[in-house]
Amino acid sequence: MSSHHESILREPLVTGANITYAKVTEDILVPVENKPNRAWWIGFTIAALGALLWVVSVSYTFWFGIGTWGLNKTVGWAWDITGFVWWVGIGHAGTLISAVLLLFRQNWRNSINRSAEAMTIFAVICAATYIVAHMGRPWMAYWALPLPNQFGSLWVNFNSPLVWDVFAISTYFSVSLVFWYTGLLPDIATIRDRATGFRRRIYSILSFGWNGSVKTWQRFEVVSLILAGVSTPLVLSVHTIVSMDFATSVIPGWHTTIFPPYFVAGAIFSGFAMVQTLLLIARKVLGFENYITMFHIESMNKIIILTGSIVGVAYLTELFIAWYSGAEYEQYAFLNRVSGPYWWAYWAMMTCNVISPQLFWFKKIRTSVAASWILSIVVNIGMWFERFVIIVTSLHRDYLPSSWVMFYPSVIDVCVFIGSIGVFFTLFLLFLRVLPAIAMAEVKLLLKSSSDQSKQRLIREDSVPKEYAEFYKESLTKYDSVSEEKEYAKI
Amino acid sequence: MESNKKYWKGLEELQNSTQFVENNKGEFSEKLPIEEVLNEAGLSTVAPRRDFLKALGFGLGAVTLAACNPAPVTKSIPYLVKPEEIVPGIPNFYSSTFKGQSVLVKTREGRPIKIEGNPNCIITKGRLSAQGQASVLDLYDVSKLKGPAYNGNTTTWPQLDQYVKGELNKVQAGGKKIRIVSSTINSPSTKRVIADFVAKYPNSKHVQVDAVSYTGIIKANENSFGVAALPRYRFDKADLIVSFDADFLGTWISPVEYNRQYVSNRNNTSLKNKKMSRHIQFESGMSMTGTNADTRIQLKPSEQGIALMNLYNALGGTLAGSKKLTNANAEKSIMLVAKELAAAKGKGLVVCGSNDVSVQILVNAINSLIGSYGSTIDVANASYQYAGNDAEFVEFINEMKRGEVDAVFFLNSNPAYDYVNAKEFSDALAKVKLRVSFADRQDETASLCQVVAPAHHYLESWSDANPLEGYYTIGQPTINPVNDTRYAEEGLLIWSDNAVKDYYQYIQNNWSANILSQSGSTWKELLQKGSVYLGEKPAAASAFSRDLNAVAQTIVNQSNALVKGGDNAVELSVYENVAVGDGKFANNPWLQELPDPVSKVTWDNYAAIAPKFAEKLGIAELDMVEVKTDKYSVTLPVLLQPGQAIGTVSIALGYGRTKAGKAAAEVGKNAYPFLNFVNGTFQTHTAASISKVAGTYELAQTQTHHTIEGRNIIRETTLKDYLKDPHAGTGKGHGANKYDLWDKYEQPGHNWVMAIDLNACTGCGACIVACNAENNIPVVGRDEVRRRREMHWIRIDRYYTFNEGGEKITEENEIKDLENMDNVSVIHQPMMCQHCEHAPCETVCPVIATMHSSDGLNHMAYNRCIGTRYCANNCPYKVRRFNWFNYWNDSRFDNYMNNEFTQLVLNPDVSVRSRGVMEKCSMCIQRIQSGKLQAKLEKRPMKDGDVKTACQQTCPTNAIIFGDGNDPESEVSKALQSERTYYVLEEINTMPGVGYQTKVRNTVEA
Repeated sequence: MSSHHESILREPLVTGANITYAKVTEDILVPVENKPNRAWWIGFTIAALGALLWVVSVSYTFWFGIGTWGLNKTVGWAWDITGFVWWVGIGHAGTLISAVLLLFRQNWRNSINRSAEAMTIFAVICAATYIVAHMGRPWMAYWALPLPNQFGSLWVNFNSPLVWDVFAISTYFSVSLVFWYTGLLPDIATIRDRATGFRRRIYSILSFGWNGSVKTWQRFEVVSLILAGVSTPLVLSVHTIVSMDFATSVIPGWHTTIFPPYFVAGAIFSGFAMVQTLLLIARKVLGFENYITMFHIESMNKIIILTGSIVGVAYLTELFIAWYSGAEYEQYAFLNRVSGPYWWAYWAMMTCNVISPQLFWFKKIRTSVAASWILSIVVNIGMWFERFVIIVTSLHRDYLPSSWVMFYPSVIDVCVFIGSIGVFFTLFLLFLRVLPAIAMAEVKLLLKSSSDQSKQRLIREDSVPKEYAEFYKESLTKYDSVSEEKEYAKI
Repeated sequence: MESNKKYWKGLEELQNSTQFVENNKGEFSEKLPIEEVLNEAGLSTVAPRRDFLKALGFGLGAVTLAACNPAPVTKSIPYLVKPEEIVPGIPNFYSSTFKGQSVLVKTREGRPIKIEGNPNCIITKGRLSAQGQASVLDLYDVSKLKGPAYNGNTTTWPQLDQYVKGELNKVQAGGKKIRIVSSTINSPSTKRVIADFVAKYPNSKHVQVDAVSYTGIIKANENSFGVAALPRYRFDKADLIVSFDADFLGTWISPVEYNRQYVSNRNNTSLKNKKMSRHIQFESGMSMTGTNADTRIQLKPSEQGIALMNLYNALGGTLAGSKKLTNANAEKSIMLVAKELAAAKGKGLVVCGSNDVSVQILVNAINSLIGSYGSTIDVANASYQYAGNDAEFVEFINEMKRGEVDAVFFLNSNPAYDYVNAKEFSDALAKVKLRVSFADRQDETASLCQVVAPAHHYLESWSDANPLEGYYTIGQPTINPVNDTRYAEEGLLIWSDNAVKDYYQYIQNNWSANILSQSGSTWKELLQKGSVYLGEKPAAASAFSRDLNAVAQTIVNQSNALVKGGDNAVELSVYENVAVGDGKFANNPWLQELPDPVSKVTWDNYAAIAPKFAEKLGIAELDMVEVKTDKYSVTLPVLLQPGQAIGTVSIALGYGRTKAGKAAAEVGKNAYPFLNFVNGTFQTHTAASISKVAGTYELAQTQTHHTIEGRNIIRETTLKDYLKDPHAGTGKGHGANKYDLWDKYEQPGHNWVMAIDLNACTGCGACIVACNAENNIPVVGRDEVRRRREMHWIRIDRYYTFNEGGEKITEENEIKDLENMDNVSVIHQPMMCQHCEHAPCETVCPVIATMHSSDGLNHMAYNRCIGTRYCANNCPYKVRRFNWFNYWNDSRFDNYMNNEFTQLVLNPDVSVRSRGVMEKCSMCIQRIQSGKLQAKLEKRPMKDGDVKTACQQTCPTNAIIFGDGNDPESEVSKALQSERTYYVLEEINTMPGVGYQTKVRNTVEA
């Protein structure tokens, strides 16, 4: 797939002049092979403090009980499951990028899939911690697994969506991990080959004896395709099953058939937003502008508009169906969302998720790094509110008004959530230090076909029609912010 | 088949070489180097010694580590000599007496764990109030004194006796007065002991005073008929009940009895006979009785007497001084009520909660006019439940002030807390030389006394009572006294040198001489039955013939005194609330956490004012206000109480105890100083002012949304519609088909179901406390209730409906716009696990910790629960309760479960739940199991009534019926076949096992 030249009309996936295979390796391994810079240390310190906060607040919860959270007799889930679903959702972009885009031969995925997959794994770890932490008796967490046991014929309840969750999340985690690691093999081998001493031994073990032979590469390609095929259904299934935690219940506002597609779209939406949040910074700090170009940012922004709009349609459909159903409790649940005591959460969700991504229709905005980054944060906030709205506003006023209550988070609730973000960033920053944040081998594939320099060469060689060349140049100057910087070649 | 196969171990065996044969001779084919190891050289090498030391070191270390794990200490001590009557695991029941009501005490392995009404009791018929249920916990109260005290130090009984007797002799010699101050005593033996004491010390006198006084009625009856006692009210004989501020279902005189009588004319049986009484309530605050009224009219305290005068005049009387009421609705209603009362001649009953003699005389006159005496009021069979005399007590204070009293004994009485002016009392008391209290703790009064001679708890003692004319109950001890306490009576006997000093002997003598001789039964029969009833005297129609003009003048004057000018002027009434009562039970955590039947507030009292009145004053809910009279003021949070009369404020008594113990500490404010000593009695109404002060205070309410939002979870109808169509209001008759995704459960044996009659439930909350006691339900405290985490398995939902122009307004956003919030009707709906056939909780549990039984129950396996709380989220009735903390072993919840001593009250048949697991109503599965076992032992099938749930057992009105739905003849099956039956949220097809019967209101279109 990399042997042919790509159409000149397409935007380059790798910019910059004089990019060679060696330069790719050099550029990408900068953070791995050098001492961390000040920016990394600052980020890591903050993240590690966050992780420490998580350890303290979760230990506090384990010691005293779930009562340290703000939950009550009516609202049995709030920040815990909101956090869980939020993290699982964030985890979705990784698989989508690595699997679905691979199957669709979207080569632009090559520069972002590594970080996105790492993000997926760390996000699912954060989600899994919530599953255990929210249990009343976390030391019995293994009872949710169908393990042979000596308690008699005790088994899990296959009717329970929570058991489906256990299967869905664990499958998702293990497949994502394998896929991620398989992709890492050639890159780890590259690091191994450049390293010396103890580092070399470690990377040597981690590279599983990759020798770069044709046979190895061929198997690598095949395994990647197979794993992509295996993970593609997971993109749909995981959040479908998470949504069933709600959809199969009887609580108005939860009991709705629209949830599976709506949740999957929302998950991809938040996942891409998180990829943007992370990569826009990593790209700047680590100097990856040549590999993660404005084209990448714009493509991801387009996915964010699409999924954000799907989610918006789902919100409106919910309202319509609530009205159309004539079901009293359903109608009240949605009226309460829109205008009840938690109206601000609903409108925060609506603003962040439906209205703000629409700004990406403007090319100026979707090709602005700053705007993209801010909106990606807004979307993540919005998606947190979406889960909060679904969980808390449905529970706090359900069938019998005598049990209606308000939910107020405790300090520990907030600490666990902030702490989980700390855990996530700690893991991600460590990842940046020890593994290449961009799939070097896959980017190298693009160098011959779709890099700026190869296209420039085609133009120089006059092997493309003149008007095409003009079009290409114009589009670069007009939209690609990086092309303005002097180090990038211009005619 | 014979096998000829031969298996060989190796080629050597197959070939059978000589070497193989040689080697195979021994046990082992190869030589083992045992000798080499054991020879001297082997043993003396360096290595074995070092190895030995290593092994020794490791072994010691390993053993030490293994021993570090502390083996749990099991503190169970088997009987060395087993008492014959005690079989571990089998409860024993003893009859006893609580507040004159005969009760049964359930004991397990020698410790009382639950109180139930005695079915033989003519007052309760086996039912019991919340306070009665909770009284068992007081036995295990750690705040009680461990032994007698002298000046705050522990002492011994002989020393104490010597001191008291010495002092008494001095007082006797000095000719000063001796006073025994007690709350009402209706125990014939105690009375006799006191009489003996008075005989020995002729200067002494017995003064009875009740914290919440009924002197007004007693004096009025003395005045009207010459009988200085409370009459026996017969609500069961009344077709029309008109109550002026009398909370007869909640706290007034004998609520359990009145609840039963009242509901007997309103329950399913009565409705089947097309009969239902009508109840009209005039009151200022919203009382529990008011919530049950068919028609409820707000009436300010100042207009109560005037309204009664108007009523009297409308019934044909001619009293001067009556005037129109300011509340036009009340004025109109009085006229209508007069017509109704006249129509219901002989079947009407007017009661009034006032403690004013004049008002009560007027009430007597009205009752006489409508012919209540001899039918709904029985003066001949008087009630002795209250006999306090306020004036005598005030005179006693004056005696002390004048220095005439040199010895005083406080028996079950605590004036330093509940007297109007505690300072005046303590100053006066300081002049008394000998001050003795029989209180079980260093309470407010006891701490002012030199001598505290703690008396036994009633469950530790022999006792008797005479609550009604001719009705005597006996109490027997159910446990050896826990602390070094002694009968108060025994003290009096010793100090008066009585011939009999053993109180048990004394009671027995007294009974055989005076009571058993009349009834002809033996002592043993008495103990088995618990009470003796000498029979009802024929009710005489008492004639009322007195001039009422002086009475009317007093009423008018007092009414004027209650009206004060000024913007912030309010009429204040203090009242006894259902849970905590007069404050004697303030240290009982079960009662503190029992939500008030109307406001659903726990752990506090508050100033209740009407929402519209608050709006006028610029006060919002939970704002702090200062309520002030010229004598006293308190700062309390505001509760907006729909139905409260505009211009009035109500504050509950019984709070603000300072020396009752840990649970009562810092709970509410004392309202007793607001009592008003007028016209010879302590009155509950007074003129006050209310003003907002800085700050807010969150009351711990178990219910924070108060209307049904137009949902059909509550179904009600009027008597008129019911008589036309018994299905009225149930929403039945649409012929909706039921479709089902699930297979039907087979229920081959029993199908345990429940029926709850909304027309019988008055909301008293006895079921909640009974359930607490039966099922070891944790008490979580005020802060946790504020976080909405109370653990009650059964709750009583209370909803308000506002009526405007014939429309029922139940939706939040419509209520906001209401101009008039006075027309409020109330309903109580007991709610517990519905044991759904298609339980939403069961399908979602990941570990099958909750599942359905073949006899219709929704089980909860605590040990399997991992605490995901999914079941609670998915429960449409929100009846599941989660153990947020380890309530039984967490010092922050030092209520009762956390204390090793108080843990003795726990029911051993019910596991105490650890933190992190879900719990909920089990329909008292332990009772079902023991019922089954009993039937099995008796080799018979179970019969209806074998099993009663704790809530059902105690319900004074039989609103809760439990039983086998598979038995068509069972009480519950019959109840569920009633046309009034509906199921809550039946439209979501959970198929609940608890059916409700519609509320029927006997309203009359005006």
